[in-house]
Amino acid sequence: MTIDREILIRPRLHSKEQEEEILTSVRSGKPNRVRNVRRRHLSTGDSEPIIRNRSDSTKTIYTAGRPPWYKSDGADGPSPLVIGICGGSASGKTSVAKNVIEGIDVPWVVLLAMDSFYKGITTEKDKALAKTGDYNFDHPDAFDWEAMIEIISKLKEGKNVEVPIYDFNTHSRCAETKTVYGATIIIFEGIMTFHLEKLRELMDLKIFVDTESDIRLARRLMRDISQRGRQINDVLNQYNRFVKPAYEKYIAPTISHADIVVPKGGSNRVAIDLIVKHIRRELDNRKYRVVRKTSIPRNCSDPASLHLLPQTRQSMGIQTIIRDRNTPRNEFIFYSERLMRLVFEYALGFLPHEAHTVNTPQGLQYDGVRFSGNGLCGVSILRAGETMEKALMKVTKDIRLGKILIQNNPDTKNPELYFLRLPRGIADDHCVLMDASIATGAAAMMAIRVLLDHDVREENILLVSLLMAAPGVHAIAYAYPKVKIITAAVDKTVSKDFHILPGLGNFGDRYFGTDANDLMTDIKEEPFSSD
Amino acid sequence: MSNLDLDTSRTPSPTTEAESKLDYSAELDVQVLSLTDQIRRLQTIIRDIQSSRSDFVFSADRLIRLVVEEGLNQLPYKETTVVTPNGVEYKGLAFQKGSCGVSIIRSGEAMEQGLRDCCRSIRIGKILIQTDEDTRKAQVYYAKVPPDVEKRTVLLMYPILTHGLTVIEAVKVLLEHNVQLENIILLTLFATPCGIRAINKAYPEIRINTSEIHPTPPLHFCKKYFGTD
Repeated sequence: MTIDREILIRPRLHSKEQEEEILTSVRSGKPNRVRNVRRRHLSTGDSEPIIRNRSDSTKTIYTAGRPPWYKSDGADGPSPLVIGICGGSASGKTSVAKNVIEGIDVPWVVLLAMDSFYKGITTEKDKALAKTGDYNFDHPDAFDWEAMIEIISKLKEGKNVEVPIYDFNTHSRCAETKTVYGATIIIFEGIMTFHLEKLRELMDLKIFVDTESDIRLARRLMRDISQRGRQINDVLNQYNRFVKPAYEKYIAPTISHADIVVPKGGSNRVAIDLIVKHIRRELDNRKYRVVRKTSIPRNCSDPASLHLLPQTRQSMGIQTIIRDRNTPRNEFIFYSERLMRLVFEYALGFLPHEAHTVNTPQGLQYDGVRFSGNGLCGVSILRAGETMEKALMKVTKDIRLGKILIQNNPDTKNPELYFLRLPRGIADDHCVLMDASIATGAAAMMAIRVLLDHDVREENILLVSLLMAAPGVHAIAYAYPKVKIITAAVDKTVSKDFHILPGLGNFGDRYFGTDANDLMTDIKEEPFSSD
Repeated sequence: MSNLDLDTSRTPSPTTEAESKLDYSAELDVQVLSLTDQIRRLQTIIRDIQSSRSDFVFSADRLIRLVVEEGLNQLPYKETTVVTPNGVEYKGLAFQKGSCGVSIIRSGEAMEQGLRDCCRSIRIGKILIQTDEDTRKAQVYYAKVPPDVEKRTVLLMYPILTHGLTVIEAVKVLLEHNVQLENIILLTLFATPCGIRAINKAYPEIRINTSEIHPTPPLHFCKKYFGTD
């Protein structure tokens, strides 16, 4: 059973243009396609985190976010679960994978296909062989094993990876790669997944899908002829010369390494059920609750990484206005943007600079400075952090901006990662992470964790905020001591439901007007008036 | 208050060796922005002969904003208490109403937008003065200030302070309108020591704010900002 219903909500981890490209190239395949057949000529297919929507409900379910995958003090949690699925060509591996994913119903699952790791045919002679079906795709040498091991190891560490994309029509690797990040479960499916011992060691669960060879041959014929434009003789030729012997030599022997063997492929509901139950048990052992502190010990001094904006009268005067509950929204927006400007001007002073002498029009040499870092990017934590983007863009020209959406789960009170869109190649950049108000610091810690997973260095991160609470400052400084924390004010306490006291209310609500003031339902007279 | 050590090797090398060692802010009555790397970077771009006009204007606008914010700190205020949405009291400050800006055409006009970005519809007066370098005479050609200026605190805007004659003439205009000297705050970006001395001598009550004191200020500022070079 294949899923023919499009996935409704899923994080796009590469640019819209790239996704459009991939979709159009998939759509431009052969016109008369057989239903229920894997329709793709690119190997990208499903190697991105899939968020599942229950197919029986009519109500939109805002999909669950990813709960913390690290410990309260910032250390690594247990690694993600890696499941390997092996089996002959067209045995139903992808169907088993999809059914398992649906059954677990956990978001933040990555499905990697071994097809993405074909080496790609470069010489003309090999290309001609491939066209007539004389090239051996089913030999272990056709795959890039080092890349597979590297990518799966990195995913196990929770890092961001770039997965290659293989084009079956041109028999080569695409120039673009797919960015994949953030998985609790990694499913790796392919014909020779159990071949290499190093790869087997990375897998926590190994499944072998065992379908009879005649069924596999039939499926393969259908797929290759209708979808990949081959001739029946070529396909049979290739099957007899390469696929069948390869199966007997390389794939069938690896069945002994499997933990579970699933006969009959994707439609085997009993087997899938058992696998899902096992995985759920494994996941329960990996659950984490982040501890959120609401108070700090007495006489605790401010951490060294905290830098407070100098408490000038302007700063205090503006804070007085934005903290006042009676301040109308337009004033609130104006003055909070002024305060953000002050905080950013101060924060940028912490970037590294080097001496730089310039010539002036007056003829003298001037000893100045210039920015000596590699690059700069801003990352905002939606929704409150987004308000600071405008101020940051006014203060830095041409800065790249990323966004992270983290919301609190109302039941578990944990922060959860929902959405992530970061610029590429920020590993050496200085990163300005912004959130307007930080209470317990749980969301900020998750955002810092995400940046670290993308290889940004801890000492290059500047956490900029308008108002923070002391427990949050201490939690972040303890978990990530090298991150510089810059804010306009630090309040002493946090209430039981994680509000800063005295605070300024819910910043996002007050700024965007989603609070309960001046509602239309409260207005008694005509909404339109000329006076 | 910056967390960086003030590295004296980074002070600009002026025309004479001796002057480079002087700490001007000690002997002169002037408020200088505390030097950070960011501010120095902005000054570098403004002074650099090779910076593009868009980089120049961007950095100039930022430096103007910083000086204006510093000037606003000196406005009169009183203490007040407000209640936050959480129902807790907060002791803070409120700034007194009644200030205005007066810009000296044309370089001062570069600073008007920076002031309006901080105080949305603040009243702005303008004075046009031309100073003859040779005869050292300054002539007022035009002046228009808010009618109640004698009751207001005046933020006088003039980015490059060289000999100080222009500013002294502008202050005379304000005195004719009965402005109190203690209510005048001068905002400049770059000032020369002799310019500051001249104003300190003539009108010691005026508060001066600048980002850098240097014998050779960037005289190309006005032309490059408005693109008439």
